[in-house]
Amino acid sequence: MHEVSPALHTAEVVHWIALVVMAIVYTMRIRWLLSFKLAKDKSAPGNPAQSNKERGARHSLFNVAMPWSMESTRNPKGFVFYLSFVLFHLGVVAGIILAFVSTIAPDFLRIPVVGWTVMTLIVGALLVSLYRIGRRTLRPLMRLISTPDDYFSLIMLTVWFAVGAATQAYLMGIWGVTNGVFQIVYLYLTSFFLLYVPFSKISHYLYYPFTRTYIGRALGHRGSYPVVRS
Amino acid sequence: MANQAKTHKIKMMEEQLAKKLNRQVVGSLVGCVHCGMCDESCHYVLAFPDDHKMTPSYKADQVRKLFKANHDWTGSVFPWWVGADKVPLSDDDLETLKDIAFGTCTNCRRCTLSCPMGVDTATLNRIMRGLLSHVGVMPEGVRVVSKDQWEIGNQMGVLKEDYIDTIEWMSEELEEDLGHAEATIPMEKKGAKIMYCINPREVKYDPRTIKEAALIFWAAGEDWTMPDEGWDNTNFGLFSGDDGLGGACAKREYEKARELGVDKIVISECGHGFRSTRFEGVNWAGESEPVPMESSVMTMLNYVREGKIKVDPTKNPEKMTFHDSCNNARSGGFFEEPRELLNLVAMDFQEMYPNRAEGFCCTGGGGAMSMSEYTPRRLESAKIKADQIRATGAKVVVTSCHNCVDGLNDLIKHYKLDCEVKQLVNLVANALVLDEVEKPVEEVAVPEEITVKPVAEAEPLAGRKILVVDDEEDVRTFLITVFEDAGAEVISAADGNEAIAMAREHLPDLISLDLSMPGKDGVETFVELRSTAETEEIPVCVVTGHPEFRQVIYDRPVPPPEGYLGKPVDEDKLVAYASHILEHRNEKAN
Ligand code: SF4
Ligand code: SF4
Repeated sequence: MHEVSPALHTAEVVHWIALVVMAIVYTMRIRWLLSFKLAKDKSAPGNPAQSNKERGARHSLFNVAMPWSMESTRNPKGFVFYLSFVLFHLGVVAGIILAFVSTIAPDFLRIPVVGWTVMTLIVGALLVSLYRIGRRTLRPLMRLISTPDDYFSLIMLTVWFAVGAATQAYLMGIWGVTNGVFQIVYLYLTSFFLLYVPFSKISHYLYYPFTRTYIGRALGHRGSYPVVRS
Repeated sequence: MANQAKTHKIKMMEEQLAKKLNRQVVGSLVGCVHCGMCDESCHYVLAFPDDHKMTPSYKADQVRKLFKANHDWTGSVFPWWVGADKVPLSDDDLETLKDIAFGTCTNCRRCTLSCPMGVDTATLNRIMRGLLSHVGVMPEGVRVVSKDQWEIGNQMGVLKEDYIDTIEWMSEELEEDLGHAEATIPMEKKGAKIMYCINPREVKYDPRTIKEAALIFWAAGEDWTMPDEGWDNTNFGLFSGDDGLGGACAKREYEKARELGVDKIVISECGHGFRSTRFEGVNWAGESEPVPMESSVMTMLNYVREGKIKVDPTKNPEKMTFHDSCNNARSGGFFEEPRELLNLVAMDFQEMYPNRAEGFCCTGGGGAMSMSEYTPRRLESAKIKADQIRATGAKVVVTSCHNCVDGLNDLIKHYKLDCEVKQLVNLVANALVLDEVEKPVEEVAVPEEITVKPVAEAEPLAGRKILVVDDEEDVRTFLITVFEDAGAEVISAADGNEAIAMAREHLPDLISLDLSMPGKDGVETFVELRSTAETEEIPVCVVTGHPEFRQVIYDRPVPPPEGYLGKPVDEDKLVAYASHILEHRNEKAN
């Protein structure tokens, strides 16, 4: 076991409690979604040569890893956005790993290859989120469709990434960061994050498997998905 | 705003929304992350880049807000936090929503394919349309068409006798063209293999397609029939969002198919008709498929594949491109077969890009052709499609949808493209090699060489007096020449007042009337002609380049015109129409 200060210990406990609460709320959220009736398409499969619900659902589910499958990520501008999307989400994963591993096995994060990977991803995601703040606040289109939740979620993540980078620097003992408060703040931020997420747009990843499967099945049944191009 | 009381209509919409929710819809409602990636997939966005309200997620947010405010905990507890505070409260708000749901989205579903979350914005927009229709807030055109479909049984209010009369007319022409007593259109034939359902537009504006389909069925030796009821394959429920209407229309077709005991329903080339009858109809009607259903394109393709008909592609030598109807391609998975058929019946096919499920809407979809108030916006949004067509250099745009025919004709005129629109039925009929066809078993001797007689050959309008009314001199001259060549005596007028004076003085047998004219326009002229004792009985055939006025004229409190043709006018079609109107008139008089 690693040695922890009482303040850090409290932050860790709060963090784990938040995780449990989040799991409970997420379960409720999924139950709520499943409480709506699943509409069944009674029509016969569309085009026998192309129609396949399962294939449509599968392809749709893994659409996230196929930037060529959508026009919006296929064009050069969209592809750059896609790359930033990938970096952003990898940064989130790195941030979550940092939050949990720093409480149970901080030495793991001090292994240079691990530590620098986590650091690179978090800093990369921080840069993307700063870009996203600019995009959301400066582009009239984005302002029109954004809600306070959209802004707050993004700002919160940006701060989380920034404090995460400082925490990782502290754990690795680099860049002159020696203040352990960063780690405590990071854990409290993560706790808040865990509690807030189920109520915010960030919970989209919870819905992703459902929405993608539904649309993939629906269009796969008709025979128009996966998209055929020529 | 939050303190303002909701109107009764809004409460009704909220109640109705609860009935429309299912897991897929809720997924789309909660799944949007407002990333804006769907933005440029929409033809409205591309045409109006500075009007951000055209972006798909903004349109979907209209129903999303209502949902969040009423069904989602975050929206109920902190409405302002998730945008659920901006729900409609007044009837004026509903007018704004009407403009968004009906006037800025053709429900083409293109944005759905560009959404990383799989949000089905078109479905959400259709839900909003359904909520508005539920409380009577909808464009006038949608109201009129829906009413006709509920009450008369088809979306253009074609009366049964007019439908049967048109089928008989086409049947007689087919028999006459082929010189074959068996070459007729069967009606209400029990136990036939195929029941052929059509778009009312074919009866009203383009009966030639019915004759062409009949010719193909005859050539293939098909055992088919047309029903006397339940023949309308279109379904305005798809456009108005009214699932009740959708189910009722579909049931009419399904019940008729069961009554006649047919093996299959064949749906004429209509994108939304295909989608509504073949797919959505069974869901709205809450039943499973009554019999297998297919597009007539599939039927024609199978005839060629199986050697039941022979086609000669050299008869269609022009450079052609293919426009995918959104309902066929994106929502029906039907895009390879039309191409296969097109390649079999035409010489020079050039693909347009993007295509198939990623193709752009013709911009006449989603019932847009019936909403004349949005015509300027619709035409502007058609620029992307016009550019696509222009880039192919094609002289003919082929499509398998009557709605797209109208939408494309409109944009071709608006953007001055040098091409025309055809459907596959036109091309297949034109490419048919009749003297090599294996004839139906029961058939009697057929003349060796069968040629379709040109309609104008026998001066079918001899002895008739026709008044041509059009402000454009070249159009007037063209119409006068066509009618004179067909044997008619022709007089002409360049504006409404002159037309009324001439009609009173000469009492012509038929008036060909333009709608858009300076001064007294065609609509006013038409109403005055119909309201004046001396001229009220004179048949009128509207010949116009403004399809959007169609509804305006049919909405007048006077009997509708006897005929309606869109410009540019095909000579044979014009003469055939005029002859038919005059013959029909004689029959009535007798
Ligand atoms: S469904 Fe079509 S018209 Fe409607 S928002 Fe999406 S892309 Fe635009
Ligand atoms: S509908 Fe999809 S693509 Fe459009 S803003 Fe929402 S999540 Fe993004």
